[in-house]
Amino acid sequence: MEEKLSHYINKAKTLDVKQYEKTVRVAVLSSFTLNGLEETLRVKCSDLNVNCITFVSGYNQYNQEIFNEKSKLYEFKPDITFLTLDIRDILGKVFYNPYSHTAEERKEIITKKINELKNLIGTFTQNSKSKLVLSNSKNPDYSPYGIVETKMDYGIYSMIADFNSRLAEYIKNQQSVYLYDFNAFVNRFGENNVFDYRQFFIGDIRIAFDFIPALANDLIGFVKPLLGLNKKCIVLDLDNTLWGGVVGEDGFDGISLGDSSPGNAFVEFQQRILSLWKRGIILAINSKNNPDDALQVIKKHPAMILREECFGAIRINWNDKVSNLKELSSELNIALNSMIFVDDDPVNREMIKMQLPEVLVLDLPDDPSQYAKCITQLTDFNVLSVTEEDLDRGKMYFEQKQRTAFEKSITSLDDFLKQLNIKIKIKNANEFTIPRISQLTLKTNQFNLTTHRYQEEEIRRFASDKSTMIGCAQIEDKFGDNGITGVFIVKKEKEIWEIDTFLLSCRVMGRGIENGILGYLLGKAKSDGVKFVKGTFIPSKKNMPCQTFLEDSGFNKKDSEWIFDLNNVIKVPKHLTVSAE
Amino acid sequence: MSSEKLHNVISKVLGVSPSEITDQSGPETIERWDSFNSLVLVDELESEFKIKFSVAEITDVKNVADIKRHLRNHGITFS
Repeated sequence: MEEKLSHYINKAKTLDVKQYEKTVRVAVLSSFTLNGLEETLRVKCSDLNVNCITFVSGYNQYNQEIFNEKSKLYEFKPDITFLTLDIRDILGKVFYNPYSHTAEERKEIITKKINELKNLIGTFTQNSKSKLVLSNSKNPDYSPYGIVETKMDYGIYSMIADFNSRLAEYIKNQQSVYLYDFNAFVNRFGENNVFDYRQFFIGDIRIAFDFIPALANDLIGFVKPLLGLNKKCIVLDLDNTLWGGVVGEDGFDGISLGDSSPGNAFVEFQQRILSLWKRGIILAINSKNNPDDALQVIKKHPAMILREECFGAIRINWNDKVSNLKELSSELNIALNSMIFVDDDPVNREMIKMQLPEVLVLDLPDDPSQYAKCITQLTDFNVLSVTEEDLDRGKMYFEQKQRTAFEKSITSLDDFLKQLNIKIKIKNANEFTIPRISQLTLKTNQFNLTTHRYQEEEIRRFASDKSTMIGCAQIEDKFGDNGITGVFIVKKEKEIWEIDTFLLSCRVMGRGIENGILGYLLGKAKSDGVKFVKGTFIPSKKNMPCQTFLEDSGFNKKDSEWIFDLNNVIKVPKHLTVSAE
Repeated sequence: MSSEKLHNVISKVLGVSPSEITDQSGPETIERWDSFNSLVLVDELESEFKIKFSVAEITDVKNVADIKRHLRNHGITFS
């Protein structure tokens, strides 16, 4: 249940002055009154352990804030800026009387308005490094022409649809600009609810108070991936979660799962989860059950949507769910704070909340018919760009499971590594790899020497800077393609190169790949006539796994820096091959 | 109905203790009672009492006594 707006306004006044894990600077610009949104954003961010510092532009001041390069907005240095314009303000009188103009003129009006917005967006991106989130327009629900509106040539409905599609098309190709689908928001809640004429007339409020908290949820959906708070893995219970009933008691044929109610609610829920898996969210099972009974359903039940290959790791046993969840986290190499726990049993949920507070526990409704809605309303899977790795990730984790099984079947690590047949392909930073490189710097915690976080724009700058060498590594082995999983950024000077960033995704750690990439990098420095390579290890809460990496690789400590003398031998593991494009 | 429920809503929205609220309380006596918060107050009262005020009623309110008067028009009486 969502709280009323006054709850957030009051709570914002009493927010604890505490040490937050992260900070985000949010600017809110709009063409109408959006009071209360700022407070709601701050409270909801605080609940996520994020200190949200806000800037709200004066009433309808967005043009001045954006066009004046010395404005308070730019001085504030936002990380993310939300710009919400009402189509009434954009179209003015035309909104009420579109048919005072010919169809040709109406087209010109939309073109003009789109160009104005492009100009506004362009000015903003030139003056600020902030991400910009621009709302589209809700589609109108009224025309003076009534039922023949749709017979009009470029009528008001078409005008606004065209406005939205041209805006979306433009934003699609803008690096740091995103579209907020406000039209979808209004579809979800209904125009008659979201627009309250009384609040409009008295306070120029275009989004009624009751819907500000829901709007804030959607907008925080952009903040989460910016801060790396997005979730990567859904851990699922089975009985009464993926199907109705208890398979151990009701039997294979007795559970509810199929075309008719109540089984179809579970099918629908599974379909939604499958679609998340297909875009890269990892799935795992944490169920108290007899493994044979449960696996038989997963493998054989005709209505089952999520099959065995969808699950990166499985715990079906009688152990407690907390230890199962910890095991899943280490097996999948996904931190607990990137996991969502889904279980119909409130007791299990409470136990996880108490003992593993970093896990997001989904408050699944009592009625399974609401499960699908519950999962589709989450904004926690948002990413700022989709990479090829995201799309293949589910498959990659299944391959990883096979790799682990293979590792167990072979007794020595050396034999295992030799037979893995690892190929490291070094790639440049280019249009195809830049989004992934940025994503890795933002997400990689464990094997990351310096934990410098870089947005796509910064990676782009490195790529075009001659004094910087930036590259990434794609890893293949006998089980398949791991995708791009390593990144290095090196600041080049004549005699000495400095490693700014060196990271490896945890899913390929421990196979000598880090040594292969470093060996390549050192070899490259040597052939360029460089004398020394300098490295730094900046300790973080999570990067213990690479604490001794520089030392182990032959770097010597001088003050707080690690230096590799290129007169020394560069060691490259023999079980793998390294090639560069 | 006693004034308690009404005072609780006002207290919640405007951050004053219910005991400080009288029929004469208004924007002059309650610091946070500005034009925006008066709309928030209306929104809360409507949810609490399951009624809808008209724009005329909303803009007419100058103090707590006015709110009571308009609530009476919607069938909510105070003892």
